Amino acid sequence: MQPTIPDVVQTIPLPYYIWFASALFVIGIVGVLTRRNAIIIFMSVEVMLNAVNLLLVAFSAYRSDPAGQVFVFFIMAVAAAEVSVGLAIIVMIYRNIQSIDIGLLNRLKG
Amino acid sequence: MLSIISLSLFGILNLFLGFLKSRRVLLPATLLFIALAFAANLLDWNHQYVYFRDMLRTNNLFINFSSIILLTTFLTVAISRSFGTDEEHTHPAEYYAIMLFSVVGALMMVGFENLIMLFIGLEILSVSLYVLTGSDKRSLRSNEAALKYFLMGSFATGIFLFGIALVYGATGSFNLSAIGSYVSGGPTTGISPLLYVGLLFILAGMLFKVSAAPFHFWTPDVYDGAPTLFTAFMSTVVKTAGFAALYRLLTVSFTGVYGLWWQVLTGVTVLTLLVGNITAVYQSSVKRMLAYSSVSHAGYLLIAVAAKTPQSPSAILFYSLAYSIATITGFAVLILVAEQKPIEGRPDERYEAFNGLAKRNPLLAFSLAVSMVSLAGIPLTAGFWGKFFVFSTAVDRGMTNMGMVLVVAVLMSVVGVYYYFRVIIASYLKTGDSEPIGIRPLYRFILVLTTALTIGLGLFPDVVRQLF
Amino acid sequence: MNTNYLPSDYLPIVVQLLAALGFIVGSMLVSHNIGPKRHSKKKDDPFECGIPTEGDARTPISVKYFLVAILFVLFDVEIIFLYPWAVNFLDWMKESREMAIAIFVEMILFMGLLLVGFYYIIRKGVLNWNQ
Repeated sequence: MQPTIPDVVQTIPLPYYIWFASALFVIGIVGVLTRRNAIIIFMSVEVMLNAVNLLLVAFSAYRSDPAGQVFVFFIMAVAAAEVSVGLAIIVMIYRNIQSIDIGLLNRLKG
Repeated sequence: MLSIISLSLFGILNLFLGFLKSRRVLLPATLLFIALAFAANLLDWNHQYVYFRDMLRTNNLFINFSSIILLTTFLTVAISRSFGTDEEHTHPAEYYAIMLFSVVGALMMVGFENLIMLFIGLEILSVSLYVLTGSDKRSLRSNEAALKYFLMGSFATGIFLFGIALVYGATGSFNLSAIGSYVSGGPTTGISPLLYVGLLFILAGMLFKVSAAPFHFWTPDVYDGAPTLFTAFMSTVVKTAGFAALYRLLTVSFTGVYGLWWQVLTGVTVLTLLVGNITAVYQSSVKRMLAYSSVSHAGYLLIAVAAKTPQSPSAILFYSLAYSIATITGFAVLILVAEQKPIEGRPDERYEAFNGLAKRNPLLAFSLAVSMVSLAGIPLTAGFWGKFFVFSTAVDRGMTNMGMVLVVAVLMSVVGVYYYFRVIIASYLKTGDSEPIGIRPLYRFILVLTTALTIGLGLFPDVVRQLF
Repeated sequence: MNTNYLPSDYLPIVVQLLAALGFIVGSMLVSHNIGPKRHSKKKDDPFECGIPTEGDARTPISVKYFLVAILFVLFDVEIIFLYPWAVNFLDWMKESREMAIAIFVEMILFMGLLLVGFYYIIRKGVLNWNQ
């Protein structure tokens, strides 16, 4: 008999998923904190979101509860909206200063 | 619920109103839309409804919070005049529509019953605000503020979501009550450690959105760089919605682990009060001062959340109302004063710009003085009662728990008096140029209304408090 | 499902890896060895071919490209809401006719809202490449 997707997911123990998602998440955080290029920071944020998606799907499969996967759909849709707004902002800045290095953005200082 | 649906449709309608030749219809139409939504909102008074399989819930608390949000939006829209100097590159219809959409997000944050709804509401609100922050496309300051807000905001969203995922892993549900019964019911195996970590992540994300220290670092830059009108909108609507959501989440779902988040919140409260007030003293720009002041007010609101007494919701409501009205007034006056004498093509937002304001326009100076006095928390204004109710929730919780926070809060209120009164002193005691400032009738009406509300709530706080 | 894998079960992967690496290395070696080699002073100079470059490669391109790309991302992602709906629709049909109709109307509403957005884009002239 063909195994169902939750069965396949469950062949790997749950803690592995948690560790893997946490590792991805930390990679994202480190990327946000250390990179200077706006696009790369943005990609790091997306890595964080995908870590969340993975974690939600793993939990959802382990509990046989579809709510987690529904949440993943919403995260994807909202992330797409965020991408479009974010890229629009980055393009707007690029057209004004011909660079997307956040180090050049220092007009607002207290 | 009707208000959420109608506001979404009105927002779409607003987009299409933008295709009309005349832009004059936009402002009245938007005001009408908000008023209609306000009325639709009141229809559900004294009813409890649950929508879409426990996704949203409306009750009197929801109506109170959403009324404050709609009122502040109404005031903000009413003081909007032109968006920037570059007439060709402004899109008033879109700005109004985005404001309406962001209010939809705020209302969802107030009425959520499921973490999915909280996330969607938060994102609708945030993504709209990223756009509004960067709406002054030619200004590099606005661009920079938008990018900072966007990058930091989506970072916070990521952290918030990771927290939700961990809480889901521990409890197996996104429903607030289901999480609540897991936490307080005490499962046989004990509460999973994932829940504690998840709660801390969620707290970090939410505190970021309401700009509490140490997650406040983006606030001054973003509030400073955004067009002043949208700064006023951001600093009021986001704060009200954010605190409604934070309180609801913590009390419904996480009462069982009050001992954990209470400690985190009091620490954050003390830090927020100290950072917000002390840094505000050193600002030379009124706009930046108001930005730090909004950080410090987040601190006062956090006291009521951390105290978690039965009086907390009404204290948060009253404080948000008083704070929102006074802040809108402050920013409204700032918009007018700052654009009188631009420096290097951008509005002059320094304290010096306010010199001699009392002679140039007595109404502006008076409403500014009343709003600053209210923000400082001097008696006979709404702000005093706001602080009073918030502090009394802390007293109810007990001095052993909240004593430290109270001492810091009272001391910092005194510090607040210093920087708020600098503006009043500049406008009444100093002399500047004597060119009078003219204001339009609607603007004048709004200023009179907010000033009257601030004083009225200060004299008769019980009128509104009975409703809460 | 078989969860016990022996190390020998991974052999095909190793073979595949070796084949891929072998092809790369092999073709590089072969082409290096069988090709003719002629050296001259001019030929060994590092050089750039073609006409001298002029200006920045990042010339400003029309913002229309960007807009179309962004709109594609926005409308493309909405498909993820269609998949679970479509997968479950047959079950709803079997369950009851009223429920199926209600859910069908909900999807029509969702697509209708998307279409309103699409109409707005067209009215804004985003897809008009002539101006």
